[in-house]
Amino acid sequence: MSSDTILIIGGGPAGLEAARLIGDLGQRAVVVEKRDALGGTPIYEHYAALTHNFRDAEEAMNELIAAAKANPTVDIRLSSEVVSCSGAAGDFRVKLAKSGNPAAGANGGAGVAGEEINAGAIIVATGFQHFDPGRETQMYGYYEYDDVITLADAERMLKENKFVTPSKGTPPQRVCFIQCVGSRDRQIGNEYCSKVCCGISSKQAIEIRQQVPDCKVFIFYIDMRMYGYWENEIYWPAQEKYRVQYVKGIITEIIRKGDRLVVRGEDTTMGRPMEVPMDVVVLAVGMEPSRGTKDVAKILGLKQNKYNFIEVPHGGLDPTATSVPGIFVAGAAAGPKDLDDTMAMAGAAAMKAAALTRKLQISNFKFQNSNFKTQTPA
Amino acid sequence: MAVGLDKVKPEAITEDKHLVVQGMDISGHWNRMFEQRVSWDYDVDNLDRVTDLPGGESLAWCYGCAKCTAVCPVDIVGDYSPRKIHRKTQMGVDLFNSDDLWLCTTCMNCLRVCPKEVNMIQIMPAVREQAVLEGTTVPPELQKAFEDTAKHGNPLGQPQRKRADWTKKVGVPVSIMKDLGRPVDILWYVGSYPSYHPRGNDAACAAARIFNSLGVDFGILGVEEKDDGDSQRLAGEKGLFEMLAEQNIAAFSKYEFSRMVVTGPHEFNAFKNEYPKLGADFKVLHYTRFLVEHLDKLKPMLKKPINLKVTFHDPCYLGRHNGEYDAPRQLLRAIPGVELVEMGRCRENGYCCGGGGGGMWLDSFTKEHTTMRLSERRVREAAEYGADVLAVCCPFEVSRFEDAAKSTGNDELMVRDILELLDESMRG
Repeated sequence: MSSDTILIIGGGPAGLEAARLIGDLGQRAVVVEKRDALGGTPIYEHYAALTHNFRDAEEAMNELIAAAKANPTVDIRLSSEVVSCSGAAGDFRVKLAKSGNPAAGANGGAGVAGEEINAGAIIVATGFQHFDPGRETQMYGYYEYDDVITLADAERMLKENKFVTPSKGTPPQRVCFIQCVGSRDRQIGNEYCSKVCCGISSKQAIEIRQQVPDCKVFIFYIDMRMYGYWENEIYWPAQEKYRVQYVKGIITEIIRKGDRLVVRGEDTTMGRPMEVPMDVVVLAVGMEPSRGTKDVAKILGLKQNKYNFIEVPHGGLDPTATSVPGIFVAGAAAGPKDLDDTMAMAGAAAMKAAALTRKLQISNFKFQNSNFKTQTPA
Repeated sequence: MAVGLDKVKPEAITEDKHLVVQGMDISGHWNRMFEQRVSWDYDVDNLDRVTDLPGGESLAWCYGCAKCTAVCPVDIVGDYSPRKIHRKTQMGVDLFNSDDLWLCTTCMNCLRVCPKEVNMIQIMPAVREQAVLEGTTVPPELQKAFEDTAKHGNPLGQPQRKRADWTKKVGVPVSIMKDLGRPVDILWYVGSYPSYHPRGNDAACAAARIFNSLGVDFGILGVEEKDDGDSQRLAGEKGLFEMLAEQNIAAFSKYEFSRMVVTGPHEFNAFKNEYPKLGADFKVLHYTRFLVEHLDKLKPMLKKPINLKVTFHDPCYLGRHNGEYDAPRQLLRAIPGVELVEMGRCRENGYCCGGGGGGMWLDSFTKEHTTMRLSERRVREAAEYGADVLAVCCPFEVSRFEDAAKSTGNDELMVRDILELLDESMRG
């Protein structure tokens, strides 16, 4: 007997959107989230405004959460994680346990420990985590200098409308972004482009110029990668309206000089070395597979690519398929994604999962029917 | 620019024992060089000063694609392009006090290719105007042209009362509006160079004869005509431009005419695009378009064949600025015997003669910052394409190109206004 329940692992943007859509189709969805709250990285990492439409992240995510929660056929399991999986498409048996994640609150999880979900299909929406600039090497002295921060740190300050030089607590006069931190790097092992950092840096540059109008903002880059409308919605306004200064040439090192930081690199179009004082340096850290993505891939037996993201074997023509039939992937668990792609992928994964479970049920029904018919004349 | 092929051993200080640069002996400590200068700051205040000016905003829009550099006529003979100006200003260079400020000829080839619409035609006049107002050093030869224009009503410094003296040489009647005392069909604005410059006179006389042959009912303003002032505006003297425009508009409005014909593209641009902003309201034609209207009548009059290879130089202010590419070519093709050959840089990508945007009065200054004059680059191109005649239809160009033909050893290249070629063919 095949199940029409669809298990969704991850309660971030992709998981919530897939759950809502499956619910709208009238099918049962179970969302398993290891943290004690829904909303994923935008909520957990205190995002300020979403890229690219500058909508308040918390407000937008709350709408997604409310839509999933309000749906009568969507069940949510907070502070829970998947511990084992058996069976195949149409009849997966997935065991849940109280999440070992420190973010799991005391009130969630306990009630569902040991629960087994019988699911016809699974959608993995376990997302990404920001590259840790202290991983492997002390890149740019992230853990050494208070005033070297990451995009995620900047988001938190921007959300509170209090962008300051962390060591002083006062508004900075000069801020720069260093692009491609942890991305496009063979030595680190992340050869891919993280896709969103150029846009997010530029978005944050605009927000800094809005919140601290006297602050000069620089972006040091290798290539500006502004896909589609990000060019005219973010990059051009940042440059033209908010006078963010884009300089081609990446910063190689940061040194301390007095109570300020000095960034060192080459201004490539002038062919000159540069040593420029800055109050705050924002590292545009890229995406890596989240811990959850890596764990769930192993538990479900999904192939991962060399960067440990979940492998999508058919690429562009079937972007939500995994190496296991009946298990689909949505969002940044499959590699760097912006929100537009994540949401579109969630819709596609929901559709594929729902279609599969229905197809399996119809063929089961036909199979039983045909047995019945052959038996009847006898 | 950024990366040289030769690796240079890093040395803190270099010093050549014997070194002569541009004829100057700078041996020993005079040429001492320290290792490459480090950019230690991006002082964007200077960029903000430019972009705060009305018209200067778009300098900040440059994203460094460098499409402009390849088509900038100044960069082809020097080291200057809008992208480079943006980068230098972003690096803290003060454009208001930089020699770069006076190199742009406002030829508009950069804006034609710019994906971000960085508009040097607005930026440069805005910054120059501010520099002039602040009393920044204006190159002396340009300053002299400004002063001559203010004093005499023309940048050549010729007396205003002699503005119509050229008409004595024509051999056909040229009516002055004040003496005519009746409305005319065509008010012909002659312009300063056709009125005063000997080679400009040749074109003016040719035009007068052609108009007479065609039976055009026309008159000129004579001593009431003043320089249009557009190139002075683009070179930073907006006040002077406004004064001249006011005087010209007053003179125009004294007489009745159905349309105005101008000899020069700069005047055409001024009257078509700038004077209306100051209240002028009349229809203006460049002479090439006007004569094309009369082509049916003109053609049978072109009796004498001119059996030469002719190439045409598109004036920036007729072509790119005002979209007229065909009328001059139609006229040249109408002349029997003429074989029209196009240069590589023609029409939309026409190379600038260097005379626009004040360049006409910055010859020595620009020469110091370029390997050759823009006009010299252009006559070389005409010669490369095998032309016998370099045909023009802008009064700035005849003298510029004739000088350039001589200085580059292309003496056999004839430089002729289209008016002169038509006149020659008509006179048989």
